[in-house]
Amino acid sequence: MNILLALDDSSRAMEQAVRLASQHQAGLTALFVLDAGWSVYIGSDFLLGSTARSKFLEYTRDDEFAQQHATVETFQKMAQAAGVPCVIKTTTAQRVPEAILAELEQGGYDTLVMGHPFRRGLEVMRDATAQVLKSAACDVLFVSREG
Amino acid sequence: MSDKAKGKMTVFKTDRHEDAAAMVFVSLVVAFVLVYMAYVVPTITIKPSQDGKLVAVAVQPDQEIKKGDVMYTFEYTDKKFVNGQLEEKIATKDVKASTNGKVLSVSVKEGDALKKGKTAILVMDHEKGTLP
Amino acid sequence: MEEKSRVANILAIVPGLAVMVGTLFLLRTYVEPWMKDAVVLGQKGWLVKVLSLNYILLSIIAGIIYRNVFFGGRIPDWAEAGFRTTRLFIKSGVIMLGSLYTLQKLAKVGSIAILLISTFVFGTVFFVIWYGKRIGMDRSMIGVMGASCGVCGVSAAVATAPGVNAKPSEVALAIATILGFGIMTMFISPFIGKALMMSDYQFGAWVGTGILNSGQVLATCLAFNPTFAPGTAVAYGEIWNVVRVISIPFVVFIVTTWACKSEAAESCDATGQKMDMAKVFKDRFPIFVLGFFGMTALSSLGWLGAEGSNTLHLLRDVMSWIFGIGLVGQGAYIDFRELKRAGGKPLRVGLVAGTLKYVVALIVIMLFVSKDASF
Repeated sequence: MNILLALDDSSRAMEQAVRLASQHQAGLTALFVLDAGWSVYIGSDFLLGSTARSKFLEYTRDDEFAQQHATVETFQKMAQAAGVPCVIKTTTAQRVPEAILAELEQGGYDTLVMGHPFRRGLEVMRDATAQVLKSAACDVLFVSREG
Repeated sequence: MSDKAKGKMTVFKTDRHEDAAAMVFVSLVVAFVLVYMAYVVPTITIKPSQDGKLVAVAVQPDQEIKKGDVMYTFEYTDKKFVNGQLEEKIATKDVKASTNGKVLSVSVKEGDALKKGKTAILVMDHEKGTLP
Repeated sequence: MEEKSRVANILAIVPGLAVMVGTLFLLRTYVEPWMKDAVVLGQKGWLVKVLSLNYILLSIIAGIIYRNVFFGGRIPDWAEAGFRTTRLFIKSGVIMLGSLYTLQKLAKVGSIAILLISTFVFGTVFFVIWYGKRIGMDRSMIGVMGASCGVCGVSAAVATAPGVNAKPSEVALAIATILGFGIMTMFISPFIGKALMMSDYQFGAWVGTGILNSGQVLATCLAFNPTFAPGTAVAYGEIWNVVRVISIPFVVFIVTTWACKSEAAESCDATGQKMDMAKVFKDRFPIFVLGFFGMTALSSLGWLGAEGSNTLHLLRDVMSWIFGIGLVGQGAYIDFRELKRAGGKPLRVGLVAGTLKYVVALIVIMLFVSKDASF
């Protein structure tokens, strides 16, 4: 069995993925997608003052990296504590669900675990879980934020 | 991600490049329009700037006109806010030539209705290098 | 990342740009003339006269339909590079708008604009600070909402967020609120203006003060009166717009200073440096505004042809095309699925502050600004 965990700030999703992997002796891969969609998202207004937009994009990029660092660290600690080996992958995409679906297709996973609602980058404004569910060709476990 | 993110949304590296590009683009457009109107455009068709009725045509075909000469007079409804009230009154206006030139043809007669930007009043040739 | 050649980059623009130009061409050549003649509810041209569906609003609506219906929520890759030229077109249009004024006229209306804008900008900022504190919004988000409701919507939010260390996910919510509110006001303002029989001067002053996003101010003015000429709604609205755009750096400075005051260093400028007004101004000043004043200078010198001349007529026609192309693109950046998700405290603050500003501006304009145009 091969499990893919789509990382966001949901610690319950991490716990469930680790538990599932440990129960089934399954391979566990965690995917963190950096959201590069900000430049398009703020594109609707055009009178931004000169360097303001690029400064903001740098700011969101730094925030993305900070979140990546924190999330991956939390997850690694959790997996280590449970004695579950895992692979961490990071990728960048304009739309987060598309990167998750691409990884699912390439990696031959049996199960996808992700938080619901999924809050990675600009997905706070969108419905990542609906999009993933529509196209995922494997089992999907949505983990609610509150237990 | 940084370069990718920065490069997206505009075709330019930064907003400053985009601002500069917009200014260059406008300069080119304005230069094109001015050169076209001053040197390239073969004839000028004079059309009214608002709806109204032609009162008099002061020029004839083949007549040379100078900048500031009255070309035609028309009557229009002047809508103005005076002390907060919309006042409408009939007014007449002389339209003067904005450049030297020669009238080639006149296609309206007194009493004709004028449609803003539509009715061709007269066709003229203008002195090259001036803005009609 | 592999560098594409310059030619390939330029060619990539063609398909999207062709869609924008083609759409505008169809709208102006066939759709608008048809709407002007169409008899609806027993009145000829009802769609244009009453619904203000001129080519400007139609361009935005076409863009919205592309994004939300045909493209399924995302601009496809083949069109993306072309649609990215949107801002270039609109900025160029704004620069060309400078030709509608002479320096004397600008000075005359500008002083009233500066007075009204500064009152409303700072009034809104203070209101948001007070209201945000009341409902317990965090200081950095109050800063972002204060700037965006006070000055230029998304532009100001984006210019302020890094300085006050606002959470990007909340900024996303704030942006959706501001955009959504702006789109709503963009479509209802022309009705209100016509119902209250506002003059072009009053309408330009009102939407220039009351509508959050600068782009939407222009579109709304053009929806009210699509003519580009001195003394039309867009000519007045744009003066207000320019004053607002220039005020962004000042507001960013004030809001950031406020948000950082009495907060721990973590909530301030990432480097922990003290804010420097000169630096903020240099970084945030939109230099295309200089192009706008350049055009005004040319027009004051009479180098663009006399008022009523064929040269100016052609120039304004070109301007309207440039704007129209930009507005199709502008519409394509509006995603209703994203706007629907606006929520939380930013939505509350945005709606309350936005509506208050919109309504108070209307009352002030109707009471104190005469219908008679200044020029």
